[in-house]
Amino acid sequence: MNTLIVLIRKELKVEFRSLQGIVSSALLSFMILMTFKFSMFLDSNFEGTGVLWSVILLTGLGLITHISTRESERGTFELLKLSSITRYQLFLGRMAGSLLLLWILSTIITILYVILFENQFGNNLSLAYLVVLVGCIGIAAVGTLAASTATPLHGGWMITSLFSIPILLFTVIEASLRATDALITNDSEFQLAFMLLILYNLAFVTGGAWLSELSE
Amino acid sequence: MIKLNAFFKSFGPKKVLRGLNLETESGEIVTLVGNNGSGKTTLLRILTTLDVPDSYNIAEIDGFDLSTNREEVRSRIGYLSHNPPYYPELTGVENLKFWLDLNSIENSEEKARNLLAQVGLISFSDDLSGNYSRGMIQRLGFSMAISHSPTTLLLDEPFTGLDSEGTEIIEELLLKQKEDGCSIVIVSHDELSYSDRTIKLERGEIA
Repeated sequence: MNTLIVLIRKELKVEFRSLQGIVSSALLSFMILMTFKFSMFLDSNFEGTGVLWSVILLTGLGLITHISTRESERGTFELLKLSSITRYQLFLGRMAGSLLLLWILSTIITILYVILFENQFGNNLSLAYLVVLVGCIGIAAVGTLAASTATPLHGGWMITSLFSIPILLFTVIEASLRATDALITNDSEFQLAFMLLILYNLAFVTGGAWLSELSE
Repeated sequence: MIKLNAFFKSFGPKKVLRGLNLETESGEIVTLVGNNGSGKTTLLRILTTLDVPDSYNIAEIDGFDLSTNREEVRSRIGYLSHNPPYYPELTGVENLKFWLDLNSIENSEEKARNLLAQVGLISFSDDLSGNYSRGMIQRLGFSMAISHSPTTLLLDEPFTGLDSEGTEIIEELLLKQKEDGCSIVIVSHDELSYSDRTIKLERGEIA
């Protein structure tokens, strides 16, 4: 059976039988969104998707770090390393597992965002959702690579965020934010921002796979 | 078969393995004894490719170099660590099936159940492994170690937590592996009667 499918199935089974990552991340997202919602009462001219992306970035990275830390603490990361699959297959499999869970989380976040902040995207809501799903690919790639490296270390949880956030902020998040903002204002910048987002994702996924192989 | 010559490993300033020489034959059981911190577990972890040696003249498993042919080495090795890793959210058979699928072994479900029957866990195969006792985890870990028919078996204190029945089952399976030509290294605090050789490690050297 394909290694990717094997790793994805394992990740989904482990998560849905424990519900440790998704539920706590979704609750944290809800609380952050509610906090922003309360503060936004003061500014009725609020426009833009910074809130959406900051929630996806922070709770998404938290979810990925949780998955990686769990694997590391149980020693099952070493079990995976002992299998006869290549390191890039292992990276892609772990990334795909995290990505699926991140997609579920970001779907919940997007629904909450649309409910709490009204639908700013209008008829472009499906396109905005597509940008969210595509943006998650980059977050999953950088997060998985950083978490794999950092979680065995002391303070790995924090190191993952410290390493990932600056990299993601000026690449994937900026491109995603520009794309979703362009959907609100019906700006022609959308296509350019979306293309840039795809290129960043491509660079991070291939870079992550290459660095994983190199670490061997 | 393991072949090591002038094998060194340090952690910072601490020299853990100092110029170790070791050879094991096919179908041979070697027991590795020594005090805590003598380098037994480190040696096993390097042989599995989980850790990297500092330097060596020869470090091979079945003729494959530990540093340059890591995937080949991993496919030939069965490893049981002191605390066998497992996913508590998965059942015994799911844990084993996952490992077999990961190593591209066909008929994984059937093979997993067969292995669990061999280690005496068949009646618990559909229970969550999170509910297993220490001894049952040890049996599950052992079945994972032998599941992909390795040519070299590395076992770090394999009898920890096992009852007399469990110990007997594992010993029987070990002797079967030996008959099949598997070369076996067991880290233990006790000398084992069925072992072909006992090697004592002292401060990273063979005493």
